[in-house]
Amino acid sequence: MSSRRTKPVRIESLLAGVLNVGTWLASIVIAAGLVLSLFHERRSIPTGAQVVTAGIGLFILLPILRVILMLTIFVKERDYKFAAAAAVVLLIIFAGFALGTLSK
Amino acid sequence: MNIGTELWLFAVSLGASALGGMLGMASGIFIVPVLTTCGHLEIRSAIGASIVSVIACSCGSAAPFLKGRFTNVRLAIVLETATTAGALSGVLLVGVIRASYLFFIFGMILLLSAYQMLAKRRDPALGPIQPLTGRSMARRLDSSYPDRALGRDIAYRVERLPMGMILMYGAGLISALLGIGSGVLKVPAMDTALRLPIKVSSATSNFMICVTAAASAGAYFVRGDIVAPIAGPVALGSVVGAILGARFLMSISNDRIRLLFVVVLVALAALMFHSAFGPDLLGRTA
Repeated sequence: MSSRRTKPVRIESLLAGVLNVGTWLASIVIAAGLVLSLFHERRSIPTGAQVVTAGIGLFILLPILRVILMLTIFVKERDYKFAAAAAVVLLIIFAGFALGTLSK
Repeated sequence: MNIGTELWLFAVSLGASALGGMLGMASGIFIVPVLTTCGHLEIRSAIGASIVSVIACSCGSAAPFLKGRFTNVRLAIVLETATTAGALSGVLLVGVIRASYLFFIFGMILLLSAYQMLAKRRDPALGPIQPLTGRSMARRLDSSYPDRALGRDIAYRVERLPMGMILMYGAGLISALLGIGSGVLKVPAMDTALRLPIKVSSATSNFMICVTAAASAGAYFVRGDIVAPIAGPVALGSVVGAILGARFLMSISNDRIRLLFVVVLVALAALMFHSAFGPDLLGRTA
């Protein structure tokens, strides 16, 4: 039981760090794309809109990364019930992508 | 897409997100009505843009709650199986549902938010924790959080998990359908079913929003429903607005501000109902 007091804090600060850095990164990419689209419309490669799309993609990947991280941590701690929950969440998210491709 | 439109989208989202952040609400609930009524955007483009901003705000604001040990990450991952399943159902539904119905449901959600703003939330009475009994999965969700006023950790239990899961499924569905964080529906699930302390339920619900939204945003992104020149400025504006909103965080107990928000929410609901039933918009429904 004593290990439960220290381990969750480590998970939580790790997740906090990843979410913070990811938010900044995606925001900066979107901002760069928007600036690019203002000044170099259509002439630059990649175009502003493509950079913005990449930033949006990063934002969508960030929660997925968070679930993968949690899955890894739960597996490492041999906490298989919660690892299974994380795996189910991941599968559902991937099913969402599949659904989007099918209904295009 | 010209500079004016980009700036307008950025400014509107910044305002909506700052407004929402002041009261601890997600920005999506303001963004979709403003984009559709003032910006004359098609509701599905507005939803696509809004869902990205919902992810951005949830990810961007999670860190302090995690570090403060308010977020129950185990409970979050269990409930997320229900919210993402709901989101998937919402993605299936949004393709077949008429736009006028979307406006109508949005109006109802706004009214529900207004009602919740009027009714104050109270912490459920935390009785003495009973000794552990079977049902190991549910009991492993029990945790504690630091209470600054009392200066010690308060232990809490998670109750009625199946009921909470059902309500979370509904919250996920509405989140995907309307492009909102759906905190409005998570609050009753957390308060009345799971009986969590407010600080824990706010932090955990906020933590779950980005994963729930990712399930539907992934589908909308591949499908091409997320228009970069609209979603980009909206997401960026929301992040900046959320930072500003947290700075000027006002006390929710301030009755005058609450009343102002109730008026805003009811007015937006009226606009949504007008879009749902208005004669000039009937031809636009797909």
